[in-house]
Amino acid sequence: MKRFLVASMLFVVAVAAAGFLSPGAVSAEDIKLVGVITKIDIAGPDATTATATLKDNKTGELVTVVVDDDLTLDKFKDHRIVVDDEIRLKYEVKDGKNVSKYFRKTAGC
Amino acid sequence: MRGREAVLIAAMLLAALILPQGVRAADEEIQKKVDSLSKEVEALKQQVARSKEGKKSISDWLTIGGDYRFRVDSLSGKVPSYLSFADYMAWAMGGMVGSPAITPGATVKNETLYTNRLGLNLTAKVMKDVTFHSRLLMYKEFGSQANDASRGDFFADRIGVFDGTLGHVPSDGKVAVDQVYMTINNILGQPIWFSIGRRPSTGGIPTHFRQNNEKPGVGGVDGLLVDYAYDGLTLGYAPDIEALPGAYAKFCYGRGFQRGFHFDSSGDVKNMDMFGFIAVPYDTDPLTIYLQANHAENIIDFPVIQESTLGSLRPSTNLGDIDQFGVVVMSTLKKVGPGTLNVFASGALDKTHPNDNHPTFNGIPLSNIGLMYTGVKKSTTGNAIYLGARYDLPSKTKIGLEYNHGSKNWISFIPAADDMWTSKLGTRGNVYEVYLIQELPGLPIASYRAKSFLRIGYQYYDFDYTGSNNWVGAPVAISDVAFNPQMLTPMKSAKDLYATLEVKF
Repeated sequence: MKRFLVASMLFVVAVAAAGFLSPGAVSAEDIKLVGVITKIDIAGPDATTATATLKDNKTGELVTVVVDDDLTLDKFKDHRIVVDDEIRLKYEVKDGKNVSKYFRKTAGC
Repeated sequence: MRGREAVLIAAMLLAALILPQGVRAADEEIQKKVDSLSKEVEALKQQVARSKEGKKSISDWLTIGGDYRFRVDSLSGKVPSYLSFADYMAWAMGGMVGSPAITPGATVKNETLYTNRLGLNLTAKVMKDVTFHSRLLMYKEFGSQANDASRGDFFADRIGVFDGTLGHVPSDGKVAVDQVYMTINNILGQPIWFSIGRRPSTGGIPTHFRQNNEKPGVGGVDGLLVDYAYDGLTLGYAPDIEALPGAYAKFCYGRGFQRGFHFDSSGDVKNMDMFGFIAVPYDTDPLTIYLQANHAENIIDFPVIQESTLGSLRPSTNLGDIDQFGVVVMSTLKKVGPGTLNVFASGALDKTHPNDNHPTFNGIPLSNIGLMYTGVKKSTTGNAIYLGARYDLPSKTKIGLEYNHGSKNWISFIPAADDMWTSKLGTRGNVYEVYLIQELPGLPIASYRAKSFLRIGYQYYDFDYTGSNNWVGAPVAISDVAFNPQMLTPMKSAKDLYATLEVKF
């Protein structure tokens, strides 16, 4: 039992460390925020890009990002992600546009 | 004439002088009114904004949903000739004269079992990063406030209703709390969450396919290992790892039995607890990989069941511990022909760690029975596989096929599964299932996920060993039940032809 708990805790620590120290961590150009979606615009079911507007929980500012990854687009199209969902967002500014790099519902059940 | 002209000219001049002043006066009056109205509008806007901020409308913080299901089952099964525990005891008490009576084989049926099930879900955004969720369930047979028609003495998970199955098998028709928990998100500004209460530990992946449910989120469990309404907690973490999209991990704890006041005597029944660790390294539509390890401690012999086919039951002792390991791989492939193909494979192992305790039934110590063994204490290892596919057509027709197999010593914690005979994934043997779902056309109104559908399916159980979904006593090959006394009625095979009409909103 103790070994199981110790192993579990070690695994949690390992995963946590992997998350904090992974190459996917925020780079200098990346901007992170947690916010609630106020608007989603997709141009029909075959659209390859969409824009989502989020209200930053900390500042209250509205941020509009371009979303072009298929996984998130699919979630927009079949309503797995909808307006009023809280999102953990990471984006970078490219050619004056905010381009989403990580768009995921805040975890929790 | 000149005089009248002069008067007219003078009047015109006077009018010319007076009119602009009048117009200007009117303009000023209008401007004043506009300014006044503007101020009022602005004040109203601020008032509305303040009102909105201070007291939100109910739709801003509360989500209401639910489901209703009508179901009909047509059940039949084959019972082999067997030696019952009661006949064995009578023979033993009678001095073991001759041979004990053997119960002849028979076919058992329940041609039409009608049930109603109602679910009501409430989710409240209580405050920033704090949410509350509850799910209420009512599940009853037609024409009864008991579960006599669906209850049998064939399998341990269906002899009566207990805490882990309340609301998931037909019961007394009262509304029960199936889930109630609060969650704190974004702990320390990180993707970490903590949740406590009666858990969403039922209907796990990949069992959601045949139920036509959404894929469980990060609160879900491996459906081959756990389908049990637990009270407990979860601590989870969902890191942003670029190479592992959707990855998360969580630690879970649940209490399966709480003993209450005690005197620390050696015969006390201890609390039964379960610890689980779930790691999902990859979670996308095309590929989901789900790993789970559990440790169940101080397994009780019987749960608390007020009314069962074996009478009123409650734990008499703890039998030992059980470890489990499971993996699920799922994939949803779009545009495979005209539709979408969902496939999954799930596998699991269990290992028991029995102690020297034995249950007591009706005041009789069963000294030759323990945790998955008879006689001598012995650790056992079991395994199970669960394979399936569902093809979703654009016509909203979904066709599914599933197969699962459990080995001789396979044991799981899945009594709340949505099967009438017994939880099919806990079967020691083979189960085949085919089903068809037809969703009704029309746009959803109540929510994005609202739907109505008809489902028809067929299950065939082919049992190799006794004791499916029962951890008390050793499994016995079905061909040997005439020589080994059986507490429950063994079954060789079972069938269930079922149909449902459901709404989810």
